[in-house]
Amino acid sequence: MNLYEEFKALNKRLIRGEAVPFFRAPGRKEDHRISPHDDRPLHYPRIGIYNGAGASHSWMWFVEIFDGMGFYDLVFLDERAVRTGGLEGLDVLAVSGGDTFAIAEALGREGARRLSAFIRGGGLYLGSCAGAYLPLHSSKAHLKEFNYVRAKISNLTAALPDARCLREKFCTPYGCSFVFHPVRETLELTPSGVIPFEGIGSFLAPLYGGPPMVPLDGVEVLATYSGFTDKTLFLVDKDTARNTVLHKAAAVRKTLGAGHLYLFGPHFEHPGFPIANQLLAEVIYWEAGRERPLGRTDEKGPQARTLLRNVKREVSNARIVAAGLETMPVQWKIGNKVYDPTKIRVFLEAVWKRLRRLERRKALRLVETQENRTVVSAARVASILRDMRRDMKGEGVSPQKAAELFRALNQTCTFFLESYFSAELERFMEEPLE
Amino acid sequence: MEYLSSDKVGIIDLATREIQEEDLDEELVKEKIGGAGITQALYNRFEDEDPVVLGAGLLCGTLVPASALGVMTAKSPVTGKMCHVPLTLDAGVELKYSGFDYIVIKGTASEPIYLWIHDGIADVEDAKDLWGKDVWASTDYVRETMGDDLIQVLAIGEAGESGSEIAQVCINYWASADRMGFGNLLGKKKVKLIALRGMGLLEIAEPEEMIDACQALLTEVKSGAFAGKKGIGELATAIGEEDLGDWIAPLVHRHSACFNTPFASNTFVFLDEDPSKVEESAVPEPGFLLTDIYGLLGLKGLGLSAADACGILKACAKSGVDPAAVAELCEKSQKKDPEEIKGSLLDLKGPVESVGQGPFSPWAPQKPLSKEFGLPEDGSEDSTWWMRRQGVAYIFGIHPIFALMSPALSEEKLIELANIGTDLDFAAETLDQVISEITG
Repeated sequence: MNLYEEFKALNKRLIRGEAVPFFRAPGRKEDHRISPHDDRPLHYPRIGIYNGAGASHSWMWFVEIFDGMGFYDLVFLDERAVRTGGLEGLDVLAVSGGDTFAIAEALGREGARRLSAFIRGGGLYLGSCAGAYLPLHSSKAHLKEFNYVRAKISNLTAALPDARCLREKFCTPYGCSFVFHPVRETLELTPSGVIPFEGIGSFLAPLYGGPPMVPLDGVEVLATYSGFTDKTLFLVDKDTARNTVLHKAAAVRKTLGAGHLYLFGPHFEHPGFPIANQLLAEVIYWEAGRERPLGRTDEKGPQARTLLRNVKREVSNARIVAAGLETMPVQWKIGNKVYDPTKIRVFLEAVWKRLRRLERRKALRLVETQENRTVVSAARVASILRDMRRDMKGEGVSPQKAAELFRALNQTCTFFLESYFSAELERFMEEPLE
Repeated sequence: MEYLSSDKVGIIDLATREIQEEDLDEELVKEKIGGAGITQALYNRFEDEDPVVLGAGLLCGTLVPASALGVMTAKSPVTGKMCHVPLTLDAGVELKYSGFDYIVIKGTASEPIYLWIHDGIADVEDAKDLWGKDVWASTDYVRETMGDDLIQVLAIGEAGESGSEIAQVCINYWASADRMGFGNLLGKKKVKLIALRGMGLLEIAEPEEMIDACQALLTEVKSGAFAGKKGIGELATAIGEEDLGDWIAPLVHRHSACFNTPFASNTFVFLDEDPSKVEESAVPEPGFLLTDIYGLLGLKGLGLSAADACGILKACAKSGVDPAAVAELCEKSQKKDPEEIKGSLLDLKGPVESVGQGPFSPWAPQKPLSKEFGLPEDGSEDSTWWMRRQGVAYIFGIHPIFALMSPALSEEKLIELANIGTDLDFAAETLDQVISEITG
């Protein structure tokens, strides 16, 4: 049984109300007690994932690891949902990468107020990359509504170093200065020994523009950037990279009221990094979850197959066009982020592989809260992609069209994943324990 | 059916536009192996509904050399007998990866339609905007509409729409191996075209063993009689038509092979541009891909220049007519003027000997193309041998011309590869039985 299957097996017990103390989480020895808190009971959490304005494709990484680990009680929130009470009832809010300025602007003052209330009320905020920048203290418009964590970042400068490569991903303007990104890809991190970042040695995690932090008052360091690897990509000279990144905080924790914020510079949610994924899961177990009855939806067998086929049709149409676009040398700047055609299939494949998984089930549950919304949304994606292909042969694709595409992709994924996880949760609750 | 399979059979009712799906029965595969073995079984099952059955050979789409072949099985409207047409170029492999192992198309549509087969989804689409378009425009239309130039298209032209007995189902822009009038059949059913595209994967029972076996076989195949040779000219030489190569040489731009086939049997000729130019073509349609040796030879036999003959082949492909039949009918009626021939393509009628009479298309030369098969020089065993060899090709999905070139692709080797790929333990006796059934 691999790590993800172990978490899934544990979650299957938790969802049935079984009392399991923290020290029995996967990877932890039974007799290993760190402190009196070690026997706090685990609960099955309800997790919100932000995928609204400003979010890039990396929120899907949370989806992947949660799916793999059996965290099926997922809610997808856009900026409107956050502003209008969508955080109520959640145990966790995960905010991944993207355009921090766009996220802040989209959430606005009301979103900030709701988020603060959520955390202070006992909620857990997980922020990686842009999600980590968001609650750091700032004087800039929109960002200043989210000043929850006093920490500086070491990659802010008025004097930009020379970029050696990936100029389009190298820096972002920040007032009169720049936030620059000295390295990308895999780095080595060392845990600080603070629960739950203890009992493990150095581990790897990928960095794609997230902050190296210098914590101030009340901020605990959970892990630091301790080294580069042979997969690390240097966008600046190595001395600058070393001075900017190494020994700075890669993961920090801040208590706010009854809740906590965990900020990660690298993407701990990236599916290719199991130890980082494990730490995320342990953070969730350590901080979140409460006893709560889980609701059920109606079973819809034959209609579920029709829905599945209809969604598959449109996603297939979209995938076929998208695959062809990947051979075209084109990029689009949407806000402060650069997108290329390979990102399109990240969304489509997330849906596709789950469609295939569902197809193989003998008994199928798949319910939509609003009839045909996933099919309609996926058809729109295919239509936009065909338009873009035609445009590429002519005058090119406007950033507005590309933005429209990524909004439609996001919406399609959200609609489908809501149905998918609702079905998976029910199936999970009914599956016998092994 | 777990390996080398999408585990799905699609059944399309043209009259009601309903699509049913069934799992591919593993027992059927154990009994009939694949390709024409199974398309024939499915044809027999739905015979009362005048079906057209598409399928791919068992090994099609794998690393097995020449594993390019799909099969279309139906009753020929010309001969009245059930027969099989090979689908080459990249059509066979796209069918294999389309998400369906086999597709049964039954009945007749009330209005012109086309089929869009993609990733295990079969869609019936209105073809009113397509009906009346030539094959090239139809292929362009569906690739543009669906947004991908890799879509493989089996299309009929005006010849099929108007009921011409020499109408052919073409592959993309090119002539196919249809000598059975299947273009006429699809026209009667109001099926303008079948578009195929799939991004699937095939599971192999023993992948590493398969890779090793295929690499070893490829090495052996590439050391055979056709090593270093390519093009329709070399194919002509192999059947005793040595001067064809020189005849078309001034037009030749390049040669191309069907999927994974070690001999490039297709030749692209430039008709509207100098083929020796090494730069991007300034002309939208500079030439034509020659895929039919007998069509080309037939037109050469009329005394035409290579350029005129290839121009007529291009016109045949656009109209969707069998070029070998065109050549034969023009010879009988003494037509030799290229423009007159092009203008008469839709009106040509009459009995033709080039139409297939047996179960397999006579598009592939009807004799061994290599002495390495060890057959008697007098040709006394060619006919029986050819029938069996085509049967093997159509079952396993091996290019039917390359099957005549390479003894290395023996029945024993193909059975061995089928077993490595599927873990189903096929035996020589099973193959004998299936060949017997499909050759009648």
